[in-house]
Amino acid sequence: MNPFEGKLLRILRFFLGYHPAEDGLRLLRESNPRPLCLSVHGVECVKDTLAKGIIQFLVRVGGWRRERYLVGGRPVQGRLWERASLEELRLSFSPVVLDFLMEVTAQDLRARRILLRWDSEQLRLTPADELFFWLTFRAVRRDPNIVSRFRSLMAFRANRYCWISFPTDIAQGEPNPPDFSPLFTGQRALILECLQRPLERLWRQSEENKQYIRDWEQMRIRGRAEFAALNRYLQAAEQAKRFDLGRFVLRVNAGLFSKHREDLSFWTGGLNAENSINKPGRLSEQLEVQRQALAFPRLMETLERWQTWARGVGYVDDDYAISQLWKSDWEQVNGDVVAARARDAIAMLDPLRRPTWDQGNDGDETN
Amino acid sequence: MSRGYRIQLPDPLPRAGDDPMSLAYRITVKESATRRLTAEDEICSRLELLEILPPEDMANLLREELKNRGFEEQPDGTLLRHGETVSVRINPQSGEVTVSAAIEKTVSQQAERITTGFDDVGPTPRKLRQQIQKELQADLEKKFEQEQQHLQSQAAQVLEQHLHELQPEISEIVNKVTREALKQKAHQMGTVKEISEDPQSGSLTITVEV
Repeated sequence: MNPFEGKLLRILRFFLGYHPAEDGLRLLRESNPRPLCLSVHGVECVKDTLAKGIIQFLVRVGGWRRERYLVGGRPVQGRLWERASLEELRLSFSPVVLDFLMEVTAQDLRARRILLRWDSEQLRLTPADELFFWLTFRAVRRDPNIVSRFRSLMAFRANRYCWISFPTDIAQGEPNPPDFSPLFTGQRALILECLQRPLERLWRQSEENKQYIRDWEQMRIRGRAEFAALNRYLQAAEQAKRFDLGRFVLRVNAGLFSKHREDLSFWTGGLNAENSINKPGRLSEQLEVQRQALAFPRLMETLERWQTWARGVGYVDDDYAISQLWKSDWEQVNGDVVAARARDAIAMLDPLRRPTWDQGNDGDETN
Repeated sequence: MSRGYRIQLPDPLPRAGDDPMSLAYRITVKESATRRLTAEDEICSRLELLEILPPEDMANLLREELKNRGFEEQPDGTLLRHGETVSVRINPQSGEVTVSAAIEKTVSQQAERITTGFDDVGPTPRKLRQQIQKELQADLEKKFEQEQQHLQSQAAQVLEQHLHELQPEISEIVNKVTREALKQKAHQMGTVKEISEDPQSGSLTITVEV
């Protein structure tokens, strides 16, 4: 194997999460002459690393869990390979992945814009390609220069997994999320089932970091992108009747509201600090930015509406099994309590309204 | 061994054909302006009234209560209470509450600059004066912008303070309208035997014979 191929494999392993980030980012900042093609052995190594790395990732993050998800409108419990056939789980990668790897191996990503002939509005990626590019973006997020290079590529900009994970990083200017409906069918839905826990962890951390944001403009941009992306995602999930794939939103909110919030400092503590910057002059604009900061709690309104729907579905109705699964998820996290606390938090933004939470239930904890 | 050297001194008098010496001049430019600055801020909210009676009856109860508290009915059906800097407008039909703050201030700003020019290099005195005037006007504009921002912050603070004071009053209004509505509803249901109110706990007990 030649040095270029060796570097490419290390970068690939970095993207998949098996190589130290410091070294991986360093490799992306070095340029090397790009060969015309890889050797046969090099291609085989790339294919092997991709196949094993992606499968291992999916299994490790959620595929191994015995969980209930909807299959053909009915809840099925089991590990990923017990819920889906081998044919449905067979991942295929298009040549763009190898071409992308060769390009980022050859270029210093800080210096030049990445130009890829196949990267256009008409780009069609396989589910496995989309997962690969999601993993890539997740790996490089700590380097804003590389993020801005990648963001200009349609492979990332139109990547639905990226939009529901890192909408602030992906959106440029006015957030314009893509149509999420393809995520709820076929292999993409299976991938999304595995990603529920990583998404939950990502968003919990993101919400916890909000209290350190002191820039009002940054918070405004972030909150708008988050709500635009996730609200659209939930609408598509509702349309596809895959309420089970909104589970991570419900669990994040359950974590946020495991106890009653006395104030909004968890989200806006940094904005109200003395050294905050770009604070709007008008109170109405300040309230709007704070409302944007509570993007995640605001999503509970949609989930509550799902629960109201689910409670109204009769035993003989077509969607009975679907509604029962959602009700089970809701009750598992004590959804009624979570929803009431979320409403109270949002009500704190309105200076003329008082919380509706019954003070006698302060001791209750959710799961 | 001695060395010889020659010193050449400049001619004390200008020779014919030489350029005359340049003249320096000093320009003082002053600019001042007075403006009336206005800062406004507004928030909207909604009263949460239970629909104990039909919407029209609830609106009437709210209207009466607001009039008792100094609100004046407007041609568009809303009720308005004006303060010195803050006004509160409530729509009894929709329950929408709009609280606005407006502050005005007359601000005078001055700027002065002294600069030196030369008559043989650089712009002419007239152009130099025009250039400095433009710069001073830009400086004044910045100062007015800063004053405007400061005034806007004040308006936001005034509005926030007023909201803090208004919230208990709004709660009282909602409470009172709800009580009245319950009493009327009770009368509609049957014969009211007893109404007892506890001002301390805020409870209301109505006994109705149906």
